[in-house]
This record gives sequence, C-alpha cells and structure tokens, in this order.
Amino acid sequence: MDGKVKEQKRHQQKHSGPKAEKKKLRKQGGTTEEDGRRRNPKAFAVQSAVRMAKTFHRAQDIKAKKHHIPLVDRTPLEPPPIVIVVVGPPKVGKSTLIRCLIKNFTRQKLGDICGPVTIVSGKKRRLTFMECNNDINTMIDLAKVADLVLMLIDASFGFEMETFEFLNICQVHGFPRIMGVLTHLDAFKNNKTLRKTKKNLKHRFWTEVYQGAKLFYLSGMVYGEYQTQEVKNLGRFISVMKFRPLVWQTSHPYVLVDRMEDLTDPEKVRTDPKCDRTVSLYGYLRGTYLKNKGQVHIPGVGDFQVADVNFLPDPCSLPDAQKKRALNEKERLLYAPMAGVGGVVYDKDAVYIDLPANHVNQQQEEVRPTTELVQSLIDTHATLDAKMAASKVSLFSGSAFLDPTDIDEQSGENGGLQEKHVWDPNIQRKRRKVVFNEDDGEEEESGSSDDEDDADSDQEEQEEDEDEDEDNLSTFLKEARAKSDGTPPVKKKKLEEGKEEMPVFADSEDELEMSEEEREAGRTGDSGHCSEEDEEDDEESGDESMEEEEDAANATLTKQTASESEEEEEEEEEEGALRWKEGLQQKASEAFLRQQEAAPNLRKLVYGSVAEAADSEDEEEELGGLFRVSRPQNSKKFQANALDCSRFNPDTSHDWDLEEMLNSIRDCFVTGKWDENQDAATLLKEDEELYGDFEDLETGEVHKGQTGNQDPAEQDSENDEADDDDDEAEESQVKVDDEQVQKNKRLEKKRRLKERFNAEYDDEDATYFDDLKEEMQKQAELNRAEFEDVDDETRVQYEGFRPGMYVRLEISSIPCEFVTNFDPHYPIILGGLSSGEGNVGYLQMRLKKHRWHSRILKTRDPLILSLGWRRFQTIPLYHIEDHNGRHRLLKYTPQHMHCGASIWGPVTPQGTGFLAVQSVTGTKANFRIAATGVILDLDKSVTIVKKLKLIGYPYKIFKNTSFVKGMFNTVLEVAKFEGASVRTVSGVRGQIKKALSTPPGAYRATFEDRLLMSDIVFLRSWYPVSVPQLYNPVTSLLLPVGQKDSWEGMRTVGQLKHDLGIRNKPNTDSLYKPVVRAQRRFNPLHIPKELQKALPFKSKPKQQQPQGKTPKDLQRPSVIREPQERKVAALLNALSTVHHHKKKKAHTVKHAKHKEFLQQKEKQEEAKLKRQKEARKKLYRVMGQMDQKKQRSSLKGAPQDD
Amino acid sequence: MASHGLTYDGCNFFRQRLVLSTLSGKRVKIKNIRSKDDDPGLRDFEASFIRLLDKVTNGSRIEINQTGTVLFYQPGLLHGGPIEHDCNTQRSIGYYLEALLMLAPFMKTSLKATLRGVTNDPSDPTVDLLKSTALPVMKKFGIDGDGFELKVLKRGMAPGGGGEVVFTCPVRRTIRPVQLTDPGKIKRIRGVAYSVRVSPQMANRIVESARGILNQFIPDIYIHTDHMKGPNSGKSPGFGLTLVAETLNGSFLSAEMASTPQGQGDPILPEDLGRNCAKLLLEEVYRGGCVDSSNQSLALLLMTLGQQDVSKVLLGPLSPYTIEFLRHIRDFFQIMFKIEVQKPSEDTRKGGDKILMTCVGVGYSNINKTIK
Repeated sequence: MDGKVKEQKRHQQKHSGPKAEKKKLRKQGGTTEEDGRRRNPKAFAVQSAVRMAKTFHRAQDIKAKKHHIPLVDRTPLEPPPIVIVVVGPPKVGKSTLIRCLIKNFTRQKLGDICGPVTIVSGKKRRLTFMECNNDINTMIDLAKVADLVLMLIDASFGFEMETFEFLNICQVHGFPRIMGVLTHLDAFKNNKTLRKTKKNLKHRFWTEVYQGAKLFYLSGMVYGEYQTQEVKNLGRFISVMKFRPLVWQTSHPYVLVDRMEDLTDPEKVRTDPKCDRTVSLYGYLRGTYLKNKGQVHIPGVGDFQVADVNFLPDPCSLPDAQKKRALNEKERLLYAPMAGVGGVVYDKDAVYIDLPANHVNQQQEEVRPTTELVQSLIDTHATLDAKMAASKVSLFSGSAFLDPTDIDEQSGENGGLQEKHVWDPNIQRKRRKVVFNEDDGEEEESGSSDDEDDADSDQEEQEEDEDEDEDNLSTFLKEARAKSDGTPPVKKKKLEEGKEEMPVFADSEDELEMSEEEREAGRTGDSGHCSEEDEEDDEESGDESMEEEEDAANATLTKQTASESEEEEEEEEEEGALRWKEGLQQKASEAFLRQQEAAPNLRKLVYGSVAEAADSEDEEEELGGLFRVSRPQNSKKFQANALDCSRFNPDTSHDWDLEEMLNSIRDCFVTGKWDENQDAATLLKEDEELYGDFEDLETGEVHKGQTGNQDPAEQDSENDEADDDDDEAEESQVKVDDEQVQKNKRLEKKRRLKERFNAEYDDEDATYFDDLKEEMQKQAELNRAEFEDVDDETRVQYEGFRPGMYVRLEISSIPCEFVTNFDPHYPIILGGLSSGEGNVGYLQMRLKKHRWHSRILKTRDPLILSLGWRRFQTIPLYHIEDHNGRHRLLKYTPQHMHCGASIWGPVTPQGTGFLAVQSVTGTKANFRIAATGVILDLDKSVTIVKKLKLIGYPYKIFKNTSFVKGMFNTVLEVAKFEGASVRTVSGVRGQIKKALSTPPGAYRATFEDRLLMSDIVFLRSWYPVSVPQLYNPVTSLLLPVGQKDSWEGMRTVGQLKHDLGIRNKPNTDSLYKPVVRAQRRFNPLHIPKELQKALPFKSKPKQQQPQGKTPKDLQRPSVIREPQERKVAALLNALSTVHHHKKKKAHTVKHAKHKEFLQQKEKQEEAKLKRQKEARKKLYRVMGQMDQKKQRSSLKGAPQDD
Repeated sequence: MASHGLTYDGCNFFRQRLVLSTLSGKRVKIKNIRSKDDDPGLRDFEASFIRLLDKVTNGSRIEINQTGTVLFYQPGLLHGGPIEHDCNTQRSIGYYLEALLMLAPFMKTSLKATLRGVTNDPSDPTVDLLKSTALPVMKKFGIDGDGFELKVLKRGMAPGGGGEVVFTCPVRRTIRPVQLTDPGKIKRIRGVAYSVRVSPQMANRIVESARGILNQFIPDIYIHTDHMKGPNSGKSPGFGLTLVAETLNGSFLSAEMASTPQGQGDPILPEDLGRNCAKLLLEEVYRGGCVDSSNQSLALLLMTLGQQDVSKVLLGPLSPYTIEFLRHIRDFFQIMFKIEVQKPSEDTRKGGDKILMTCVGVGYSNINKTIK
C-alpha cells in the first residue's frame, strides 16, 4: 500500500427538509411507538386471537427451550486440575505448545513431555496437560477424561482425518470444551491466501464444533517456540475458561494416573518374572466420590478391584488464600513425575526418586535444571545410605555433626523402619524402599492404649506414626541433599511459613522440631478419637491411657535428646515438651468429656465390631488333639443361623401401665406441649409483630404492632434475658459466649424476616423451574455443609474420596506386562465403575454407520467398541424393528439409517454413547470410526429373529385341499404348526390343517384355490438368533513399548480368508456363464374336432397350405377337347354372357323404378302427416278453449244462468 | 473380570444379602446354612424366596449344593412385570414383600406381584403394616404415582394361609434424596382390626380395648374393623390389630399384633391383644423417628441408592436387623452412615434417644429401565 490515500467525501448532515424535521421531532418527543399506538390504534389492536395465542405460545416455547434441567451443583470446593488434552496429527507442534504453555505459567522448561504434567496456573486453578498421540486408543481414552481439548491443526496442510476422528470421539463421549489452534501459519508467504485459509478453516471448524467456537492462531515460531504474547493469550483463555459438566464424567470417579509404582515383592518377581504384580497408582481424583474397595477399569488393561485407597498431601497444591493478585515464583508449582519432575516424593510406601524411564538408555542431552539435583543423587553409584554415612549434617551451625547411625537408631526406635534398596531393572531405576517392621509398631501401640478391640484406630495411629517417620526421614534426606549440593531443595513439603529467611540448616532444624510437635499433636488427637470411639472405656482407663501416653512421649523425647549431645538443646527440648504437656492435659480432659457425652457409640457398634466377630471364630478348642468341640449353641453360630426377621421386639424394661412412662411421650402428640418457635401462641404473637400495623378504614382507627411501641433493643434484651435464664440452666454443661448468642439471635431474626419477605414478594412469578432450581441449590448447600467440619480421615469413610484429592490406589494382581511394558506416553486412566457396571450382559443399542466410513458393517463381524470407560471387541448382531415390535436380523447395517445392534458386553447405563472401530491397528482405513450409537436396553436375554422359510411340495391335490410333504419330518413337528398359514409361490394362501400318518411329516392343508402339482408350498416363520458371547477387552497397554498401537483381536472371516489365502467356493449357480439361447420351437396348434365343428367357418382352421404335388396315381390326365366340343363351349360361354348382361340391365331398370316409387310414397306420407297434424292442432285448440271457458266459469262461482 | 463376590456364613439376614446382591450386581455366596443343625440346609420358605427372586429377575444364576448348606447367587437383571407367587406358609407374605418393596422400584417394567399365602402372622411384619407404613416411606423418596399400591384381596392367617395380596409398583430411574429430620407431632391414629373365621365381634372387642389406652393421648382415633368372609377369609381362624400413628409431617409409626396361630401356644383374648398392641404403639412412639422400626432398613436402603447427595433420616433406636443391614450396605455399596445420637432435652417429653442417620447416596441409577 502506498501512503497516498484518497480522501473520502465526508458525510453532510441535513439541517432542513422533511427528514431533518422528523429527526428533530424524534429528538424532542422520543415517543414514536406510543405515538403510533395512539395514532393508529387499529393497527395495534388484537386482530386474531388465534394468532395471538400462537405468538404467545411460541414466545413461551423459546423461553422454555433456553432452560436446562437444573442439576445439583456437586463441584468440589477445591477442584482437581483441569485436564487439557493436546491433540493433533503428528508433527503439528503439540509438544512445543505444551512446553510453551508450561513455560508461560511456571517459568520452567520441560524437555520431554511424557505423562501428565500438572501445574498451578492461578490462584484457583490448576492444569494438567496431556499429549495425545495418533493412536486411536489414546484418542478414545483421553477424550473421556478431557475437560478441555486443544486441537492443533496444521494450517499449511489443512484438516487431517485425525482431527475429525477426535471430534467424533468427543461427540460420542460427551463433548468437552474444544479450542482449535492453528499452527504453521508462517508457511504462508502470501497474506491473502493466509487470510482465506484461516477463514475456510474457521468455518469448517465451526460447523464441526459450534458456531463461534474459538480458533486460536499461532502465527509463527521464534527460536523453536511460539511467540510469547500469543502463548500468553492462549494461557489467559485457558485460565478463564468455564466448563460444563459432562454426564459420564460427573457420575463416575476417575483418575488420570500421573505416577505408577510397582510394589511387588522383588523376590517374587525374581523367581517368577511373569507373576501378577501389585502396583500403586497415583493421581488426582476427578468426577465424583470414589469408594474404597470399589471396582475400576483401566482402559487398555482390564477390570480390577481396588485393594486400597489413601489420600496423600497434594503434591501440586493451590496457594493459600491470600489477598494478592498474582502467584509468586514459589507457588508456581510443576508436578510431572512421569517426566521426571516432582523430584523426591515421600509417601506411604517408600521414598521415591523419580527419573524418566528412558534416562539410562539415551543419556539425556540437556540437563534440565529441575532434575539436576535428582540426577546428581542418582548418577553417583553409591547408595543414598552410603552417601549419608559419608556426609555430616549439623543441625545448628557450630553444633556437632549428626551421624547417620543415630538416624537409623532413631527411626528404628520410632516405627520399626528398615530400608531396602531395590534396583528395578525393568524401570531402570534405583529405589529405596522403606519396609516397616509391623511387630514393633504393634508393641508400641499395645503399650500406649490397652483396649484391644479398637483395631481401626490402632491402625490409624500406626499409619500416623509411619507418616511421621517418613517426615523424619524426609528431613534427613533433605539435609543430606543440602549438604551434598549446597542448594536448597527443589520441592519440599512446606510445614511452616515465615521462616524462609532463615539459613538452610536452621530451617531444617525447625522442621524437625515441627514434625516432632506435630507428631505429638497427632497422637493426642488420636487418643481423643479412640476414646470417643470406645464404648466401654471408663474414666480410669481414659486416665491411664493418657498417662501412659505421656510416658511414652517422654520416652521418645528422652531418646531423642540422647541422640543429641549438647546440653542447651536438651533444655530447649524440655521446654518444648512442657509446652506440649499442657496441651495434652487439656485435650485429654476434653476428649474424656466428649466420650462421656456420646455414651453408646453407635458408629462403633454398627461398623466396629465386625472384625471382632471374625476373630472369635478362630478359637476352636481341641480335645486331646483329636476331637473338636462342636457347639451348636455357640453364640456367634447361633446368630448366624437365627431367624431372619425384621421385627424389632420392644424393650421389656418399659412398662406402659406406669404413668411416668406415659408421660414420657406426651409431647409426641399434637395435644402435647409444642416447641417455643412452633407454639400457636408464639406464632400468633410473631404475626402480630410483623403484621400488627394496620388501619381500620371504617373506623379510622390505627392499630400498631407491638414492635412499634416497643423498642427493638428492649425486646432483644428481653429475649436475651430469657436466653440468659436458659444459659444459666445449662451453664454447667456448656460455656457459651453471651455476645455470640446475641449476635446469632439477631442474625437469625434478620434471616427469618428476610425469608418471609422473599416468600411474599418472590413467589409472585416463581415458576416450577425456579422452584426446582432453588431446591437443587438447597441440596447443594446441604451437601457442602454436611461434612465440612469432619476431618478428612473420617470424611472419606462417609463420603468416599472427594474429587480433587490426590489419591494413591493400590491394585493387586495386575498383569506383569503392565509394568514391564510401561510407557508413560500412553495415558493410564482408572475409571471407577458404579454398581452393576462390572457385570456382563446383553446390550441393545441403536447404531448408525458413520457417514464417512466407506463400507457398511456386516453382522457377526467382530467390532471394537468404546463404551463407558471400556474398549472391547465384540460381535454385534444388527437388527431392525418391524412394525409389530419384532426385531428382525439384518445381514448388513443400512447405509444411511439407524438400526439396532445387540452385543454381549459390559453392563452400562442406558443413554451412554458408544463408538465403534473395526480395528485399532494402524491407519489403513481413511476414516477409522465405523459407527456410533447409544445404549437403549440391557438384558440377560435377547429376542432377535431371522426369517426362515420351510418348503414343501403337494403330492395329492383335491379341490382346494392338498396333501403336502417334505416340509416337516415328524407328526409332532406338524402338530406344532397346526393352523399356521402357508403360501405357494404363485401366491395362493392356505392353512395347515392336520398331520397325516404317512409319509411322516406330511400334512393336509387347505388353500383358497386349487393347487398345481408344480406348486411349491412354503411356510414363513421366525427363528430366534443368539448373540455370540464375545467380550474381549482391548489390552493395548499391555503390548510392548512401541507396539502399543498394534493390538489385534479376533479377525473377521473376511480378514482370515484374506490372510490365509482361502477363497471360498462359490455356488456354481451363482457363477456367470455365457448365455446360450436355444431356438424356440412351437408345437402346431391342435384344435379338437368337436371344437372345430362348432367353430364358424371363419375361425375354422383352413387347409390352406399349398398342396404338394399330387402323386402320380392321383394325378388325373388333362382333358383335351374335340373341335366340336370347343365350339359348343365357346357358344355357350357367349350366350351366358349375353344373358348375364340382359339380366343386369333389367335389374338396374327395376331398381330405378322402385326408387321412384319409394320417393312418391314418401311424399304422400308427408302430406298425410301434415294433414293429420293440422287436424290435431285444430282439435287441441278447441279443447283448450273449452277448458279455459270451464275454468273461467268455475272461478266466477256458480253460474247464474245455468 | 475381576472377581467381586462376597461370602457370608449362616442363613441369618438371608433376604438382605440376596436383595443387596441383586441391587449391587455383586455375586454372593452363603455358606454353612444351618450346617450344625439337625435339619441342615435351606428351609422351604427360603427356597420359596429364592424362587420369587428368580421370577422377578432375568438371568440370575442360583446354585445350591446337595444338602442345601451352601448357596451361590449371581444376580441377573431385575425384570418385573406381572408375576404370581405362592409363598410358603412357614413365613407370612410380609417376609417376601419386604424384599419386593426394596427391589420393585428398580425393575425394567413396573411390577405387579400377586402373592398368595399367609397375610398375617405374629412373627413378620404383616401386609397391613407394610401397606400403612412402608408405602408412605417410599413415597417420600419419590416412588409415587398411579399403580403404587398394595391390596389385600384375601386374608389368610397362619398356619393355613390362603390369603392373597396384590402389590404394584411403578419404576423409577433415580431416587430422590430426602431430609427427614423432623417427625412432627402425631395428629391421628388409625388402624385395622381384622378377624377371619371367628366371630365378627372379636374385632370390635379389640378396638374397644385399644382405644381405651390410646384415648389418653389423642382423641382422633379411628380403628377400622375388617371382617372377611367366605372365600376371602383364608384357611385358618384368627384376628389381629394394626395401629398406625400419623404425624403432621407425614411420617407413620405403627404397631401390630396378631392372634397366636391355631394350635400353637396359648390362645389370646382379643381385649388383651388390643391393649398390648396399643402399648406396642406407645413403645413405637417412644422410639420415635421419621420412619418406624420395621421400615428402618427400607429407608436406609433408599437413602443409599439415592443420588450423590446428602440424605438424612431421623430414626428411633436401631434394631439389630437394621444394624446388620448397615453392615451389609457397607459391604455391597461401600457406604457408611454417619450416626449421631440426638438426646432429648430435659423438659421435652418426646420419648427416647433418636438417631440421625446421614449418608451420601451412591448415585444409583436404574440400569434395568429401558429408554426409548
């Protein structure tokens, strides 16, 4: 463009003329619409009531259409990270984009993206990035867990099939948010083509997703990365995006696994490398509550029972709520254990130092700053233990060095902890496994609390202990690292804030102390808990346990102090201990009070005693080592076989003849005393307060409510006094702050008033929809509030594990290939199954061949379905419903229509969508998704039928009755079909009547017409087809690394034949042969003689064929005349000619004469007719006149003259 | 498929196990059924119950060993539809009906069950009791509408039986969460005094005596007398009383009593029966709660099978049957209830301790129901 731009003519506003006048008027008045209405009322009047009704109806329809069914809002308070799946064909820039986004959010660089990468992107949002490769298995799995899909499109190439395949997968499994990202835009040199391409791609994208779907442009690369500003914009889009809940995701718990550990006993693996493994899988729980011991499905592996679930501290937690705008560097966390980020992790089982699996194989070129530290730890081939032995750590500068032996001793004392070094050759990783000595822990436990039956709390306590030990260990590990590197640890569990400024060693010491304190706090808390649970514990035992615990704590403390040599520190510790002791005293007393309050602890009664009962079973006495004492009246056994009855027998201690007993339930009846706030008198009074003000219009009297007269403060104080009285009564039990009560009271009153006001004014236009929404809102609030103040450990028992928690799931007996062929690039998803979904049954579904799939699908060809969490191969039968509800088998799916399909597969709720692919290997087909559909029905049996025609032949034909054979084999078979309708090929209908004795299977049938012997009789019937029971989960994750996309299941018959080179023999009748047409010969028409006689001569067959030569004997000799004879003949001929001529002449003359005569006669006749007509006319006239005359005279009345 | 079966010992709580197994889809194995007994194995009524279960389900697998001491049950899908069942007379129809009440809302097609046998006996909740208390409980959970009824066509007393009951129930896809924390005050007491093959005067005598006790509390008492004759009267004589107290908030507390079966134990006077039954009702009122003691497990089950929302129900003291039921719910659905004891305050006279049960539903949806 050159700088010279032609100046456009500016717009001139009119200042005069009609238009300007109008405008002025409008500006002044501004009530054109009103004006119109007034000016032309007819135009705005109701023209047609029907149309008005219609428009109103339509308006309401449109309004109602906008509503969604209100759902209870079940989003957790601290939601799990949002799963962002980056998809696209290979070489489109997926990894680059993830890397750029991570860099944008966390300022960290990540080399290889493998496995999920979790980052903190904002104050309230965390993101998990996952890259999706081109394998259709991965695409299907990730579409099920994605919250947001970043769909990368190579603009220089255009859309690729993968994109559309993924879109279709998404459509089936609930539609997550999808954002398109165009890359490779710098490939365009021409600006115009760039613009055009963008527009084209955008519109195509819109048609696939929705109109106005966001398509992002990444214009070009700078040093192998996308432009910072564009990435930042994309990041902003992501961080403000809202998500809609998807049905499947919100109704099932699921975990996108970001860490996997093999827990199998190494010895077992050594002896049997193919043994089933026990693994623990880690990840954020999403979706909904996960129950312990539930069933899960791992797509690509199979169904498993979860052996154990624990929640762990969040490794990538959101920053603490503070009023500030941006995150600081420390809060920008990054957690990607599979990619080797996340460093050293401590949890229940062990301490793990994670390294990417490929680390040893391909010495990484660039050393990442984040894993540098870990590597330095690993690269030295000495064990951590050895290193620690070599290193010296001092807790305070200038203090003595801490010896690793001390630590060992200490840890051994604390929890019976041992270390075990495991070099796992499969994962190429060195790990230090922590093995716990169970006995020690139990001993200690038994020392601290003397009730044996409290197994649960014991275990909890033990766990706590272990945790604490780990904490200890962790601090030491950190110290070791700090010593060896001199750099602060990359990631650690922050225990205390505000001490960051202190030097490193001081910091670590602090933590140590903290952990110690925490440990004690945990203990006391536990003791409180356990005493609360304990039913029979009396006062003494409570005290005892408390004292014992004190002792135990002291003991540990003394041990601790012994390990440290300096006296000052000892003193310090003592002080700390004192402080702690004070707390303990109070806590114990509180706990005791609580225990007293909840006297019969029902929770323990219901859920706690099961284990106890199981224990008692074991004790069986033996007499002399030979006989066992059989005790049928053994209490437990007795209970096990007792009468199964739900009746609850009444308490015998209640005697309902006593007056006091009767009095105890007085208030349960309406006749009894009512609550303060429900009593009729109080309610009336309240009404008075609220609605007391009114003016009697008749008398003009003004009534005032009580509040008007009374000062509200006074009333409050009155109330307070009443409250105070109550309080005094209760003071001995509960101490309540007066202020608080007062405040609450006021708030309560305010709320009530407001509620009342709302009820009065909002109910006017409250629709059903509003009510429903409000109800849902209330339920959501209740859900949130119910378990808010319960601690997590108890809460997970009631609710299950909340979404948003970081959980560790232990799964036993997983195939060894899962571990040996582990590839972090493939997502591992743990999909929870709700009740009943673990079973297999028949599924009926509605299915439609995908319009882009090139071929129709054949019945009984194995098909791979993605349904629910699962991917599996199955054999569908296609069918269509007839008008009478019969499901008729189809050989192939219809081209463009829905049809039914029945499979044997996992039970999945109705309404769940599914998609089908013919094979998951490679990308041979141009569009891999073969069909889509939805589950309609589940059953344990199916009724699909196919048509079966039974054929028979008539062998004896009476008039309309025929005997038919060959259709059945026995009389019994016929008997079953008596009364069935049959038909012949020519369309004659009939009915089976009765079986004949011979030949077997023959029957008598009647028809509507006489059959021919050549007819074929057939009977149309329906034969039930059984669905093959093939359910073959796609175990793609178990395949070796690099071959995970080559899972092959059952092959189709066609494939098998193709692979084995078998060609089936075609029916010879179906083969094409050269068409040879024989000359047709017709037999001569034979007409019976009788008929010939009857025929008129015209129709009679004539012997017209030229007569052949008459044979010699029949040939007559030719006559040769004499001359005389010739003359005679000539004369006769001449005479006859003359005679003929004469005759002819005479005939013509005669004819003419006759003609003349006829003419004459006609004339005469005419004349005669004329005459007659005249005469008749005359006669009629006379008659008419007479008639008239007669009439006239009759009108005149009686003739005078007569 | 990973195995996910459960194993139990003994025949107690037999119905609970099978019902929960059917609903959760988990297979169950019950061992040592009366193995030490002189007459080992399953009894006739249990076999009859299994047969009933087989009728309402499709595709369930039931294996019983030779002696009947081991039962393996792999549940199928609940089918429903019209079924007829001749219940064994060892137990009353209530025994079978309690299980059907739990299963009926989750069938494929709405259930119409015709059960024949003993309608009233002293050991099990009778049909009348279930009709007047269980149905209102289910209504609270959104199982409602036409065709939700329980009709006593013929009455048959133990031991002869000969009664007939029709139970119809519509199908639901999901169950509503409930908050039943306030039972309200009792506004009226209703009841049925029935008598078959005895003098019709018996019922009147029962009514008189029962009213005598209950009139101290509330005047609104109406006890209906139901005397069935001829073919509707079953095979054995007997009489009994069912009392229901209805509260302002629509919860029902009930008590019942039936005469001792013919030829078993001492006969009971109708006056005594009426009085005792009234006292039983008072006992029930003393226990209190929003659901009466015989339907505790039904309410808890429906809470468990609700959507993933918090449900609360206030109950009276938990019966042993309910306690075991709670344990079974934990086994089958991994649901634990939060159990809080609510002590009555000193000045109110509202009976004994109440228990507030709170749970989060499993988010159960009826997978049997067909969608079109």
